[in-house]
Amino acid sequence: MQIEITHRPGSAVAKVNLGAGESITAEGGAMVAMSPNIRIETTTQKKKGGGGLLSGVKRLLASESIFFNHFEAHTQAGEVFLGTSLTGDMIVLDVDPSKKIYVQGGSYVASTNNVNFETVWQGAKNIVSGESFFWIELSGSGQTIINAFGVIYPIDVDGEYIVDTGHIVAYESGLQFNISKAGQSWLSSFLGGEGFVCRFSGKGRVWCQSHSSASFGQSIAPHLRPVKSS
Amino acid sequence: MEINIAGNPSFAYATVDLSPNEYIVTESGAMATMDASIDLDSKLNGGFLTGLARKFLGGESLFINHFSNRTSSPRRMTITQPTPGSMVLKELGNSTICLQPTAFIACEPSVRLNTKFAGFVSFISGEGLFKITVSGPGRVLFGAFGGIIEREVKGEMIIDTGHLVAYEPQLNLKIQMSGGIISSITSGEGLVTRVEGNGKIWIQTRNLQGFASWMNRFF
Repeated sequence: MQIEITHRPGSAVAKVNLGAGESITAEGGAMVAMSPNIRIETTTQKKKGGGGLLSGVKRLLASESIFFNHFEAHTQAGEVFLGTSLTGDMIVLDVDPSKKIYVQGGSYVASTNNVNFETVWQGAKNIVSGESFFWIELSGSGQTIINAFGVIYPIDVDGEYIVDTGHIVAYESGLQFNISKAGQSWLSSFLGGEGFVCRFSGKGRVWCQSHSSASFGQSIAPHLRPVKSS
Repeated sequence: MEINIAGNPSFAYATVDLSPNEYIVTESGAMATMDASIDLDSKLNGGFLTGLARKFLGGESLFINHFSNRTSSPRRMTITQPTPGSMVLKELGNSTICLQPTAFIACEPSVRLNTKFAGFVSFISGEGLFKITVSGPGRVLFGAFGGIIEREVKGEMIIDTGHLVAYEPQLNLKIQMSGGIISSITSGEGLVTRVEGNGKIWIQTRNLQGFASWMNRFF
């Protein structure tokens, strides 16, 4: 299997080349185009592994689709193009048994078969973090595709680092975060428009997105017309 | 202080490396990530009453942020803007430029930042009741929705409303109809800004109201 991301960073799309018999699991609605010999199977769970309808409902709460699509190149090689609704970047991350990767709900696109997938609750801090309540925990080994609003850039944290709410795409399990303030003073953090921020500690990599969809939403909302009730 | 823009033209953001005892002045809410030891002080943007007037009449922030490195080694932060688009980093020297209120992102402490009344004509044309002037020495970082075109005006130039991001202060701005009454309405151009004089302007290739009105058709 070979995954290639093109049209970065503004309109990224992932081209997945599947050999005969190979398959990839993607979030429902991600497929843009594919070869005619690719078979799609839709489930509420990962193809090999636990999780029934309940884990589908948990994913719905994680701003993900309740369904997964499994794309399998049946008798001969084929290709699948995977895209997302937001304009922005996509990257491929390697997953290996030495660490887990936590992906922001909404940023998960697809993963290869030996990557395990779990929707996890990270505590009440996510109510104020501006991120979704649930995160996708990836373990095992293989590759995963994630997406973002804007450019994705990595930051290697060793110690403590602040990421503003709405800018986290994914992070490695060597890191934890809690909700905090920017700088020394809560007053400055709120008056300065930063409010709550996420304070990472530990050692590992966090992937950030250049733009926050919530901030863009707030700047465009005053120009939008209220929905007419019919 | 090292300031680098990445992600132009669609999704610009800026990386700022602060040396010990340096600080940068930013628009409210501009910080995206930072080293945990960088400190933030929010300051009133001018006086309290004028600040309030600007916030409620001009759509500007009441506070402005100072991010300081009070440690003994370099520290990094990234800053962003709410809209996808480009950023420009300009060394002002001893010059002044005028910015639309939403265009300002950050500047060095040596830059003088002022808010000026831009006039009701500016307000009617959708450019805001106030404008920001930034005067050197020092660098200013400003941004836009879409790409940014830098243009030298010699004599005059017509710009659609909602597209002018920044201009040099010696230029005069006038609002006019794009043509006659009927053609101004039917051409979809409506009001335009006439820039008169000699100097530089910066134009954004998209405008938020235009994008919003396109989206509104689907609601």
